Amino acid sequence: MKKLKNGIFLSLLLLVGLASCTDKKPASKLVINEVLTDNVSNFQDDYGVHSGWIEIFNKAYSTEDLAGCLIKVSSTPGDTVTYFIPKGDVLTSIPPRQHSLFWADGAPRRGTFHTNFVLSKTDDNWIGLYDSGRNLMDEIVVPGGILKANQSYARVTDGAEEWEVKDDSEEKYVTPSTNNQTIESNPKMENFEHHDPIGIGMTITAMCVVFVGLILLYVCFRFVGKLAVKLRKRNAMKVHNVTDKDEAKERGFGEAPGEVIAAITMALHEAQGADHDVEETILTISRVKRSYSPWSSKIYTLRETPHRK
Amino acid sequence: MGDFLNFLQNNLADFWTYTGFYNATVGHVVMILVGIFFIYLAVAKEFEPMLLIPIGFGILVGNIPFNLDAGLQVGIYEEGSVLNILYQGVTSGWYPPLIFLGIGAMTDFSALISNPKLMLIGAAAQFGIFGAYIAALWLGFDPMQAASIGIIGGADGPTAIFLSSKLAPNLMGAIAVSAYSYMALVPVIQPPVMRLLTTKKERLIRMKTPRAVSHTEKVMFPIVGLLLTCFLVPSGLPLLGMLFFGNLLKESGVTRRLAETARGPLIDTITMLLGLTVGASTQASEFLTWDSLKIFALGAFSFIVATASGVLFVKIFNLMLKKDDKINPLIGNAGVSAVPDSARISQIVGAEYDPGNYLLMHAMGPNVAGVIGSAVAAGVLLGFLV
Repeated sequence: MKKLKNGIFLSLLLLVGLASCTDKKPASKLVINEVLTDNVSNFQDDYGVHSGWIEIFNKAYSTEDLAGCLIKVSSTPGDTVTYFIPKGDVLTSIPPRQHSLFWADGAPRRGTFHTNFVLSKTDDNWIGLYDSGRNLMDEIVVPGGILKANQSYARVTDGAEEWEVKDDSEEKYVTPSTNNQTIESNPKMENFEHHDPIGIGMTITAMCVVFVGLILLYVCFRFVGKLAVKLRKRNAMKVHNVTDKDEAKERGFGEAPGEVIAAITMALHEAQGADHDVEETILTISRVKRSYSPWSSKIYTLRETPHRK
Repeated sequence: MGDFLNFLQNNLADFWTYTGFYNATVGHVVMILVGIFFIYLAVAKEFEPMLLIPIGFGILVGNIPFNLDAGLQVGIYEEGSVLNILYQGVTSGWYPPLIFLGIGAMTDFSALISNPKLMLIGAAAQFGIFGAYIAALWLGFDPMQAASIGIIGGADGPTAIFLSSKLAPNLMGAIAVSAYSYMALVPVIQPPVMRLLTTKKERLIRMKTPRAVSHTEKVMFPIVGLLLTCFLVPSGLPLLGMLFFGNLLKESGVTRRLAETARGPLIDTITMLLGLTVGASTQASEFLTWDSLKIFALGAFSFIVATASGVLFVKIFNLMLKKDDKINPLIGNAGVSAVPDSARISQIVGAEYDPGNYLLMHAMGPNVAGVIGSAVAAGVLLGFLV
């Protein structure tokens, strides 16, 4: 019967677990963050050349490696170019919440971050980022025609869903290898400074959360406690063969026995120092008696001095 | 010969500029005296010796003057120095959760489980945190700094270090030293507040004997505790997760060796390193500021508010309880989570008025609830401000 119950429980657990699984693709840690197709006077590479670029952002709070990943680009159907990000370059590791910039200059011999393709300045560019297992991590179609020279197509903020054209204006500036929006303040803190300068709001909300947390524990363990007492009482009644509840209550079934309370009280009494009487402070040095043994005798442990005969 | 003597003289003069005597400032002397005072308190008065000896000695270590421009890599703030490497446990916040692991493995939550309403006292005492938060804002600290200072009122050193390392790393030294100092001074701070806010009749209340708690309940507590509190405040996970994990090691009954390591060698090692490095982080140049003085004043204030709010909460709570279920308000102070000192204070003050009234076991309830409460409060502050 017990096995059957366990079986049913495990089956239900499995069923619930399976039901909660969805086909939803797990969120990728590496995403395409900003793309600039027509670079006339924007950021230049180490060779002093102005080329289009693709910025990849690590959304995670752990270091991610791009080595072995693929960047695929297509501007007209059927002309997909694939760039294999070389292995063995330590710079392909992107620290948490940082960026990596790839130059679309068609010159892969210039280094790891120079791809074998060039982005179209007039047509739509489809860009796909694949992991080393050839699974698509992120893709974007950069609309052609709407981007002027030195303008980029980027996520509004790092890793955000929405994209916009960064026209290098005061608010929408092009940001190769840095955050799409510079964070100059702590908005949460500023909110508190603005709306709750005295701190009353924080006090009330935070104390409510603390109380809710401990009230939940209280409610839970009040229920558990009652259940435990009931079970103990029922077991005690079974052991003593008592069926009458009033009798069980009278005999104190399910409550801590008096000896336990006495033991706790005694322990507390002792902990307060009652276990020590007044110690005598006079030191007496008494002679230590050592009984004779040939094993400890000095004469047997000394070697005899060699003498000439 | 003259050249050689000249060479020796220059060498000695150069060496002199490296010595502590040459580089000492009044600030160093003041801090060294503070360190010696801490050691005195620990040795002569036995105030929290496990904390004050490492911190006091750490203050001495951190305030040995040396030539900062020499690049000797000995100071705690010099990257790559031994002390700096040990200090990483504080700045990256991984010492406090390990301490919580040990605390969990040595804490018996039975008193709380047998009388769960005592948890609410642990929650009420957290008003100390927010009282100090309001006062710190009033004194001109920004919300993040104020939250870090406020957490001193939680009377929980590891929590204070954990939160300040995230919100206000520049104030961490002063906050940690203040938190630990006031925890050591609980026997001085709390009794007058307790006596002031209670009547003689209230101090004589005898509470019902707590019921025996079953093994199942004890095993359930860390699991349910973790799920309930961390679902509500996930930002408290490092502290609460380790606290309840340590407790499960203890209560499961099948991982005795792990529990003994957690509550023995592990917590001892971390306590030494934490105390020493926190003490050493109080370099005079960084520590002796007006802000530090304000933090010390706010720390005392937060302890007083926390004690008062715990005691007053019990008094109000008693109005709703039946005559037999009344709680002695003298255990209200134990909501301040300085375990087990504040519970011991409840016992001592209670015994002054009725020597046969054993409040210690009752006071342990709010005391450990205070640990949970302050960790939850830290999680809330972290969630709100980061």
